[in-house]
Amino acid sequence: MPPPLRHTAPVAEDTAQPGALVEHFFREESGRLHGALLRRFGVHHLTLVEDAVQEAMLRALRHWSMGGVPPNPSAWISRVAINHVLDALRRDHTSAAKQDALTFTETERAADLAAPDPDNVIADDTLRLLFTCCHPTLPLDAQAALALKTLCGFNLTEIARAFLASEAAIEKQLTRTKQRLRDSQAEFALPAERELDARLDGVLATLYLLFNEGYKASLGDELLREDLCAEAIRLTRMLLAHPIGDRPAAHALLALMLLHSARFPARLGADGTLLRLGDQDRSTWDQAAIDAGLQHLARAAAGNQLTEYHLHAGIAASHCIATDSAGTDWARILAHYDALLELKPSPVVALNRAVAVANCHGPQAGLDAIDAIPDVDRLATQHLLHAVRGELHARLGQHAAATTSFRRALALARVAPEQLHLSREIERLEACSD
Amino acid sequence: MSHPHLLLFRNTGPETHAHLSADERQDLIERWNAWFVGLRDAGKALDGRPLELSGRLVSGPGGKRVTDGPFAESNEAVGGYVLLNVADLDEATAIAQQHPGLEHGLIIEVRPMPPTCHLGVVTGPA
Repeated sequence: MPPPLRHTAPVAEDTAQPGALVEHFFREESGRLHGALLRRFGVHHLTLVEDAVQEAMLRALRHWSMGGVPPNPSAWISRVAINHVLDALRRDHTSAAKQDALTFTETERAADLAAPDPDNVIADDTLRLLFTCCHPTLPLDAQAALALKTLCGFNLTEIARAFLASEAAIEKQLTRTKQRLRDSQAEFALPAERELDARLDGVLATLYLLFNEGYKASLGDELLREDLCAEAIRLTRMLLAHPIGDRPAAHALLALMLLHSARFPARLGADGTLLRLGDQDRSTWDQAAIDAGLQHLARAAAGNQLTEYHLHAGIAASHCIATDSAGTDWARILAHYDALLELKPSPVVALNRAVAVANCHGPQAGLDAIDAIPDVDRLATQHLLHAVRGELHARLGQHAAATTSFRRALALARVAPEQLHLSREIERLEACSD
Repeated sequence: MSHPHLLLFRNTGPETHAHLSADERQDLIERWNAWFVGLRDAGKALDGRPLELSGRLVSGPGGKRVTDGPFAESNEAVGGYVLLNVADLDEATAIAQQHPGLEHGLIIEVRPMPPTCHLGVVTGPA
């Protein structure tokens, strides 16, 4: 005989509030869990750890959607992931780590990786993982992709979209990355004091890349890309909260991220078109983010080291504190770009500097500055080069040259709001010449 | 008058959700739970829980044949259930159609339950 029907759902007993997950639980938990498992099992087990995290996340999805979220989801998911690793190691009779794993079983299996005093442990594990991802033997973009996968819980599709690359390419790169980590026997440890600064540079560069990838293309796939920026900010904040990361350069990096992201809400018009700085509604800029950015910029001034992040943050700050476009201190921005070009020469920086030149000394001076960029050819495939040229020609009233440049830019632009903006410019110019 | 109906969830295995992003997973859990809690609070859902994806299959005279199964990979495996107390099959179907998992490939079987067991003993609320 079937059991009698129950009128109260048993799931309600210890899970009275199913669905009570903290915001971004899965994303942040992924970084914590990767960190905790790698600390226990070693970086050479990265692939196994990734499988375990994925397995735990999928089991959580099944169980929690149908049975409610348990009171301590972190502990639940940790236990599932640990068991997965241990089972896999036990099956693998050739594994040299088997003995370690079994020892671990006896002593610590019952202990939660989500310790009662989680803050320090979590932060340390996550930071260790960040430093592991930023291992000096890895190329910068590989570091960023690995960080996204392990620290930020991004899947292959998301990483590929974030870097405007194919999934196959990203997968190949991640496989190579893991192989390298295995070969180099990278240690899952915070670096020793003497190598800290060198390693920290790599960490900051990766975080900056992460942010930039989100920022420069955040118009193509708005939500995801803003997420990328948010993740970069979260990790930089975490780095700063730890003594090893609390350095002026890190404050400068966070300042520039905050000052740039403050302008996110204003970057698109109501119809989805890209708005240039001068056309943006400054009242929609995020004042709290600007204030926080300026505070970090002030703290970045400690010490005597001037990094590219200081200069970038200084430029962003100049834009943020101007009450309107006309009131922008372009001379100061130009000075920052001059310093930046000296510190870290790049055609992209030189192009941005040309815009500052144009705003200080007129559009023709801007065009001359572009022509004077030593390796300007490297920018030929970037829509931005042609868009800036078009803009400066238009300001000079050279409609034909402006239209030609805008058309080139349009052919190269990859995201919809930019395409829309360029089409509008071309239409406007054609209407003028009729 | 209300009658018990059983919703059986199929296609709930890892292969169904592996491609979802972290945020999509979280979103699915929250919407799925909200769907259930809404029904529970309205007195429509009496019970519901997931099933482990594998266990044992027992068959043969005397139950001598015991094998591992059903296979976890199978889309056909029942992954969970919800017991409803609703007016009729149409209401149960309408409830199933509100399920947030459908867009990710969830398959829901809606089965009315007779009020009596095969021995003719009344087992449920009249």
